[in-house]
Amino acid sequence: MSPSGERIRNQIRELRFHHGEMTQQHLADQIGVTRQTVNAIEGGKYSPSLEVAFKIAYVFGKPLEEVFQFDT
Amino acid sequence: MDTSFEEKSAWIQLASLVIGLGGYLSFAGILMSNGINVLPAFVPFLVAAIVVIVAINVVGHVAVAIKNRSVEGDERDQLIGCRAESQSAWILGVGVIGAIIALILSVHYFWVVHLLLISLFSSEIIKLVLQVVYYRSGI
Repeated sequence: MSPSGERIRNQIRELRFHHGEMTQQHLADQIGVTRQTVNAIEGGKYSPSLEVAFKIAYVFGKPLEEVFQFDT
Repeated sequence: MDTSFEEKSAWIQLASLVIGLGGYLSFAGILMSNGINVLPAFVPFLVAAIVVIVAINVVGHVAVAIKNRSVEGDERDQLIGCRAESQSAWILGVGVIGAIIALILSVHYFWVVHLLLISLFSSEIIKLVLQVVYYRSGI
């Protein structure tokens, strides 16, 4: 079934909290984007590329589906 | 406002174009209302507009670069830039086709030059407006 039209939500804010209140800037530096892009991803204003999504999951040591989910 | 260097750059370019083009069109309107429609009379105003645009861009970008932690763009900046460009490029295309048709119809070159100029600036302004909208509302 195609989930087209559904928004992607994410757990980045919670994961940052559980990783010692990691700052957006720290996460941005680790995945190679700007802090504003991390902020946009967190706020659901931008869906990252697969590469950046995997990098975020890698930083938190979680599988991709635990970081990003379809908001059904 | 929480903005990246690229978003600030879009704002600076937009401001410079609106001020530069607005100034030029104001003076051009005054000349035309006085019955002047020979291109050399407009060249100093066009040169002045270009100088203003370049000056605002240089000063603005230097100021923002000093203040910002990073001037590097990322994938989001590239996507926003590409999408805005693809949605505004048609304006320049329409202007060029219009200019060709105008030349075929032997319209005075004064109007052809201004059609090209306005379509070029309009295309760029719409692109920058779209960029700012995408940065603010999301993409």
